[in-house]
Amino acid sequence: MNPLARRQFIRDIGVSTAALPFITGLPSLGLAATTPRRQRLVVMFSPNGTIPKNFWPDATGSDFELKEIMKPLAPFRDRMLVLNGLNNKVRGDGDGHMRGMSCLLTGIELFPGNIQGGSDTPAGWAKGISIDQEIKNFFQSHEASRTRFGSLEFGVGVSDRADPWTRMSYAGPNRPVAPTDDPYQMYQKLYGQLRDRDSLLSILDEVRDDLKRVSKKISAEDRRLLEEHAGFVRQMEQEFGRVDSNALVSNPPKFEAGITNQNDNVPRLSRMQIDLMVNSFVNDFARVGTLQYTKSVGQARMNWLNIKDGHHGLSHESDKNEDAVDKLTRINKWFAGELAYLAKRLAETPEPGGSGSLLDNTTILWTNELGKGNSHTLRNIPFVLLGEGLGFKMGRSLDIKGAAHNRLHMAMAHAVGHHLQTFGNKKLSQGGPLSLA
Amino acid sequence: MRPLAEKLGQAFGLATVLLLTKSTGLAKPELSGDQVYSQLCVKCHGDQGKGVANEHDEPLVGDWSIEKLTRVIIRTMPDDEPEQCVGNNAKRVARYIYDTFYSPDAQMRNKPPRIELARLTNRQYLHSVADLIGSFTGQSEFGQSGGLKATYHNSRNHSRNKHSIERTDTTVDFQYGSGTPVPDNKEYKAEEFSMRWSGSVFAEETGDHEFIVTSENGVRLWVNNMDLKLIEGWVSSGELHELNGTIRLIGGRAYPLRLDFFKYKSRSASVKLEWHPPHRARQVIPARNLSPASTRSTFVMRQPFPPDDSSAGYERGSAVSKKWDEAATFAAIEAANWVAEHLDPLADTSAKNKDRLIKTREFSHQFAKRAFRRPLDAEQQRFFIDSRFAERKPVTDSVKEVVLLTLKSPRFLYPDLGQADDYSVATRLSLGLWDSMPDDELLRAAAAERLNTPDEARQQALRMLRDPRSRAKLRNTFHHWLGIAHAEEIAKDTEQYPNYDKSLEADLRTSLNIFLDNIVWETAGADFRKLLNSRHLPFNERLAKFYGAERVKNMGEFGPSFFDHERAGLLTHPYLLALYSYHNATSPIHRGVFITRHVLGRSLKPPPEAAVFKDEAFSLEMTMREKVTELTKADACMTCHEIINPLGFALEQFDGIGRLRETEKGRPINTISDYLSADGSAVRLTSAGDLARLATESPSAQNGFIEMLFNQVAKQPVRAYGPGVLNRLRRDFATSGFNLQFLLAETAVINALNGIDPAKPIERN
Repeated sequence: MNPLARRQFIRDIGVSTAALPFITGLPSLGLAATTPRRQRLVVMFSPNGTIPKNFWPDATGSDFELKEIMKPLAPFRDRMLVLNGLNNKVRGDGDGHMRGMSCLLTGIELFPGNIQGGSDTPAGWAKGISIDQEIKNFFQSHEASRTRFGSLEFGVGVSDRADPWTRMSYAGPNRPVAPTDDPYQMYQKLYGQLRDRDSLLSILDEVRDDLKRVSKKISAEDRRLLEEHAGFVRQMEQEFGRVDSNALVSNPPKFEAGITNQNDNVPRLSRMQIDLMVNSFVNDFARVGTLQYTKSVGQARMNWLNIKDGHHGLSHESDKNEDAVDKLTRINKWFAGELAYLAKRLAETPEPGGSGSLLDNTTILWTNELGKGNSHTLRNIPFVLLGEGLGFKMGRSLDIKGAAHNRLHMAMAHAVGHHLQTFGNKKLSQGGPLSLA
Repeated sequence: MRPLAEKLGQAFGLATVLLLTKSTGLAKPELSGDQVYSQLCVKCHGDQGKGVANEHDEPLVGDWSIEKLTRVIIRTMPDDEPEQCVGNNAKRVARYIYDTFYSPDAQMRNKPPRIELARLTNRQYLHSVADLIGSFTGQSEFGQSGGLKATYHNSRNHSRNKHSIERTDTTVDFQYGSGTPVPDNKEYKAEEFSMRWSGSVFAEETGDHEFIVTSENGVRLWVNNMDLKLIEGWVSSGELHELNGTIRLIGGRAYPLRLDFFKYKSRSASVKLEWHPPHRARQVIPARNLSPASTRSTFVMRQPFPPDDSSAGYERGSAVSKKWDEAATFAAIEAANWVAEHLDPLADTSAKNKDRLIKTREFSHQFAKRAFRRPLDAEQQRFFIDSRFAERKPVTDSVKEVVLLTLKSPRFLYPDLGQADDYSVATRLSLGLWDSMPDDELLRAAAAERLNTPDEARQQALRMLRDPRSRAKLRNTFHHWLGIAHAEEIAKDTEQYPNYDKSLEADLRTSLNIFLDNIVWETAGADFRKLLNSRHLPFNERLAKFYGAERVKNMGEFGPSFFDHERAGLLTHPYLLALYSYHNATSPIHRGVFITRHVLGRSLKPPPEAAVFKDEAFSLEMTMREKVTELTKADACMTCHEIINPLGFALEQFDGIGRLRETEKGRPINTISDYLSADGSAVRLTSAGDLARLATESPSAQNGFIEMLFNQVAKQPVRAYGPGVLNRLRRDFATSGFNLQFLLAETAVINALNGIDPAKPIERN
């Protein structure tokens, strides 16, 4: 929160003591034991399509095997729901990547605009809200599910551009939400005020010593001013000291300093962001999270997998290029590994104030803007659900047979009690929410 | 208007009173002034005129002459029974009051002001921190003004080729319609093109600046922070829309600015770059505030502080409060976080550098040294620096603690802790002329002990006057003097003044600023008197037309403009005339009070009873002068209004927005009246020119101005510097031909060297 917003906040809640700006760092009041179980949604995005033959399980139903790309998810096979055959049917302006990205969570067309892709017509931002923001607004509108931030948008290697390829979350028409791809910045947003308080407490005592020492050297008349000043410092020390810094359910993760935001650091940045996300759930800062790896047309160079080519460039290679297929398989498998790490962290972490683990109350949706990179198809887009937050029946691989992906979004909204009649494009909402329970 | 019966009653009462006093006056023995005071005055005014709670709680002090004091006592005192004290009794008690506690001399004798310990004022804090961080990152500079550097490309992605064009655009306000920005160049097609405008923007005044970019195309704007876009609008759907971003800027400084634009396929193209600066209407950023030369960024503290005490007429750091301490704490946190975040460039190191710890310690040491405006001794080095690095923790945490501890230290917050050495001189000079910390040259001179004589200090002061921070401080000082520092929009009746609008008013404020700047910094002699008697004002075309002035051609946008009638510098600047007026009429009282207090240097008590000016209470044919005369005619009012009203009446030929007028209500304007000067003599005023003569020639007016300036420089009362200082300054000021730069430098030097004895350096630590 910037200082202006912080002051506004203090005004809004109608109290003003020195300690308050720091209290806002504490967990929300939604921790009471009587509240219904928490439900969380995480949307994880990785770009440029997948390699279908190494991704989709062959079988449908509960008896399916994970292919190469999804192998890292083996420990969670029974907690997964693989949705084959879902299509992004939104048409209109923008190339496949742009619509793939900006219509992925919105399910609605893009405005005409000035951004030209590799083909098709130029386009602007999406015309509507995205499902993560829709659910966040729903949670925030209810006392029991309201949290400090509502939603947190994490990114990894997104780049500093703002265009339809870099934004999947929208607060409304023409209102893209930027993910934060610097973990230090996210850390500052989540815990900055508490850290400020700690730094401050560590020096206030010395500030008073300093005042005392200086006081000795000035006239008695002038000393009164410094004594008055020292009184205020003492008061602040007492007020800040009263705020229990252990009031957090979980202390913030300890970060190594100076991990710069660049390609080769992506694996470390990814883990830092995941750790922050898990921690923010424990402290109940938000019930909705997004985790966006690079962007549509992202050119991550996965040197750590010994792959020197850019991801998007590779994704255009023909299916017959075995080297490219191998590399793309490994790239997508790496993303699955990050998802597995997130799932593992959630599964290991007990639900605060409840029973079970965080994963019991969290559903992760792993998705992509394209079905396949070299065809730019918006059919058969990877949609994999993991975890029990939304109460779907897990441990299955389903063939949805070409339904519009708007119906998945409606199913997720219904699962948290938000009974939308349509979402995004009304026509594409026909048939209502997918039945996944 | 009072009913006639009441008036008659008053007249009758007055007659009886006269009779009564005649008879009692004969019977009673003569009393001494002391005795009269004890009998008649002490009940309300208290011992030694200190005041009595719930009676008259204001201390009885002022600057009226003994004659005027006597007259007022005869006419109005004691309250409700003025007949009790007349004749010789009144004379004697007036003399007693005047000599014992009322007059300036008596006040000085009874309670000699002293130089008090003071913290940094808010302005000093803001500038000190900006310059402290700037001492590591480089200071901002404003190059030649006149517009922004513009680069045009015939593609949408800013790629340079042989058709790219570079030029200077005075402002950014272009309508290309369905065409291109370079219509005569066939290489430019309407389908796509892109531009970049870059350089710097000069902020006139401190506060939030809203920047507005209007376009139907893709735009991005950066201001001051070049790592963070203030406006992001690269994606657009071809509909014209406004994007805005607000950023706090410190007045008197320049900031880097860049605007990127591209068009692709949309039907039309346009781009407009506006701002809404503090105290000013929204406008296209004018060329005089733009320069094609880029500059360094400046750290601008966002944390607001509670207002400084300005009860003495200037802001000073004489008090602390809980709110202030909290603000100073949050400000220190803000700075500490910024430093930690930008540690590597500040300390000239990098995350991987093996010397990072050493360099960070060195940075921390320099930071504390510059913040304290003097070297650290061994004990301070241990306390502020070494102890912070003693534990093995991330260097960013250590440096944060150094910054917090330094900016919360009294050594930073109270700049003058009585050391009285060359560093004190450096500090007082830089606070006096810049409201900021000493620069490298001052610190070097202090280290070499080359600052403790008047010649050395004066040489530095004259050098410092050339720095834009001196201009900024003097402008700020003038704004306080003129009562416009906090002036927001001056609302005017649109029926009465149909063409007076916000943008005209913005031009007027600009004109006033340019007028002040020109006289002090651009005109030979920097003559104080010109502030009050100049017959021309810097007007742009619109102002010249509106106010009927003749502009001198080819002298810039705000060139000197002459009138066919008498004008008197600031006294008749339309911005001030409009400010000191009602929304639909002139106000001789507001104008008169302003001139009494701020221009003639006289003090006024608050009115004994509040009388509200209600225009509808007067008959329609009355002129403003008649209304004011009627409203203030009571004796209790006239004690002050006999000073105020003639000053205001002399400006009655200028209407509520400062235009010349010949008549009011069909009758010629009467500007003639007699003003009672501080020495008790009457001065006939007939016009603004007479006012100007009074204001430039009377010693008390000159003293008032010098005192105002001195107080703003020193942030201490001039009288604390000894009884002769003010008069000596006035004599020297006159000898210099009333040179404002001389006065500013001399004031700064007197303040800086106070209590400094080069022969006896004081060892205090």
